[in-house]
Amino acid sequence: MSIITITSFLYIAALAAFVIMLLSRKSLILLFARALFLASVASHGILMLILSINLHEVPLSSVPQAINMMIFISSLAFIPIVLSRKTYLLGVFFLPFASFALLWVLPDIGLSAPATFRFHTYWYPLHTLSVITGEAMFVVAAVTSIVYLVHEHIIRKGDFHSSVSSSLPALTLLDRILYISVLVGFLAITSGMIMGTLWAQSKGLHLSKIMPKIIAGGIVWIIFAVCLHQRFAIGWKGRRTAIVTLIGFSLMIVLLFLINMLFPHAHGLGLLL
Amino acid sequence: MIRIECISINYRHVPVDILERVRIPPEAVVPMLPPGSEAYTLNTCNRAEIYWTGMEKQGVFNMVSGLIGVAPGYLDRISVHLRGEDSVRHLFRVASGLDSMVLGEPQILGQVKDAYKAALDEHMVSIIFNKLLHRAFRTAKRIRTETAIGKFPVSVASEAVELACHVFDEIQGSQVLVIGAGEMATIAAKRLKDRGVSRISILNRTFGRAKELAVELGGMALSFSELHEAVRTSDIIITSTGSQEPIITKDMMSEIMKERHYSPVVMIDIALPRDVEPDVSKVYNCYLYDLDSLKKVVSVNFTQRENEIEKAEEIIEYEVGVFSRWLKGLNAHGTIRDLYNLMEYYISEQLEEKAALVGEKEKAILEDALRSMAKRLFNRPVSFMKRYPKLDYIEHTRRIFRLDEDYQDRHKRQQAGTSAGRDSNKLDEKYRGKS
Repeated sequence: MSIITITSFLYIAALAAFVIMLLSRKSLILLFARALFLASVASHGILMLILSINLHEVPLSSVPQAINMMIFISSLAFIPIVLSRKTYLLGVFFLPFASFALLWVLPDIGLSAPATFRFHTYWYPLHTLSVITGEAMFVVAAVTSIVYLVHEHIIRKGDFHSSVSSSLPALTLLDRILYISVLVGFLAITSGMIMGTLWAQSKGLHLSKIMPKIIAGGIVWIIFAVCLHQRFAIGWKGRRTAIVTLIGFSLMIVLLFLINMLFPHAHGLGLLL
Repeated sequence: MIRIECISINYRHVPVDILERVRIPPEAVVPMLPPGSEAYTLNTCNRAEIYWTGMEKQGVFNMVSGLIGVAPGYLDRISVHLRGEDSVRHLFRVASGLDSMVLGEPQILGQVKDAYKAALDEHMVSIIFNKLLHRAFRTAKRIRTETAIGKFPVSVASEAVELACHVFDEIQGSQVLVIGAGEMATIAAKRLKDRGVSRISILNRTFGRAKELAVELGGMALSFSELHEAVRTSDIIITSTGSQEPIITKDMMSEIMKERHYSPVVMIDIALPRDVEPDVSKVYNCYLYDLDSLKKVVSVNFTQRENEIEKAEEIIEYEVGVFSRWLKGLNAHGTIRDLYNLMEYYISEQLEEKAALVGEKEKAILEDALRSMAKRLFNRPVSFMKRYPKLDYIEHTRRIFRLDEDYQDRHKRQQAGTSAGRDSNKLDEKYRGKS
């Protein structure tokens, strides 16, 4: 059994365990679900390591590899959340997304694929890692936003006696997680964009070649910048931040696929081909 | 014939903000009590009442109108005058929380007890009112233990706290503001205090009342002029004033939320009519719950409310009946009659027990012997009472022979082994122990 299969199986098993825990409310099952989640992240880490050794580089040379890295980083970010007594339920909302995305990309990540590209500068891996870390933090923010909106809806309806709603984190706590993840994600994306520019300059690339990606990245950056600005300046908290985060995240995903579909050579390695 | 009467000035007829200033202090009533009369006054933020016996209605009306500073004619319009069983029933309903603004709230029983202690200190109460008040306590306790009425206000307060916990992660660090010193708000504030909230402010139109509650909750009293600032700095607001108009409007809250950078605020409005405009819930990050929305939440656990009220009313009727029988029997003639009834009850009980062991002839002899012995035994208290028909002696005789217990009913309950029977026994023991 390959490490890809084991990792996929562990993520799905962790998801199933969380769902069973949600229905049964047994602390033993929660313990088991947490253990499975930790095991799946550990297995994912081993997979990344094997992949790096096989490719002799950080596995970021294709879209599936980039998505795989994004899920891995967001899983790492979710470890303290899942282990916390107050926030573990967020794992239930994260795991379907992580499991689905992994099942989709894992077959194509090319475990033994030959190295296609050697980095000539440090800027490229730093840029890519930084951007993917930012995107991973936006995954955390998006999941938290969904939970926030669901919980707020339940509170406004006054229907908070169900087993699910009674275990949901308080709104202020969700808002704090949301704020931290958006802030970290925004800083990572910003530094990633700066490093990307430096890499493009070092390679002597023309701006016209990377314009679609610049525009797409710029749109997402502006949305999150507005979100943070409004929070600092006016005091946007809670629902508005959650809605803007979801808009920004959805746009980020759509643009990621759109850019790669419409302009396959407009970014990253394609520029050098 | 002994008759208990009552004048009640309560929230049904007078706005609560005016009512808060109406008091019938027991110490002011004492000098006006004629010898042989009894009186009991109850003052809460929702009512000012006086119960009495041995005085003329007009005299009490003049006294009360003088005390609260209104003309007797006006007092007549804003108050309710009850007599006899109606006044007893009213007191039992009040003590049980059935006459409260929030049905079944438990704090009123403590207030009724405190008022009784004050009346005892002032020597305003004697045999009749001692019995009346103890019956009222017993009725309230029975309703609390035998029905789910008492769960309702506690549930409302708990739900309010639960709601706040869903919004705030660290509820202990939240600033709580209680507007109005109403019973429900106090219960909710106490619940929050139990959950570790230490920063509680109380804002009331009557500053003195706010100070009293602040001492009780370990909080800080604020005057009504500080409303805007108090709302701005609070995370959880519980409001239950008697104001006829909303005291917190949407415009006011919109402005305040801007000032507080839209930090979430939970507002629990348990006032009737509302203290907070319903549109406030549309202001960003304002979570507003009024009594209706809380009742909906509570109703999940409290669906049989109507049945519970019916049960509570039955208990009250039963206890009113017991007290009325006692009151009617509180004269030499009635007590002597009850003594003979008790005697007959014991004789028939003995005959019933021995019926299987003896024949008809022996049964007649046994009955004669028992009756003769009992008559000789009962003759002494009977002749004493005839010679000294004082209330004290009559009351003591009734207690010694437990004439006010409903033997048949008691027997049945003991046989059934119901908790009501056990509670009733415990209370009786307690009562007897105290007396």
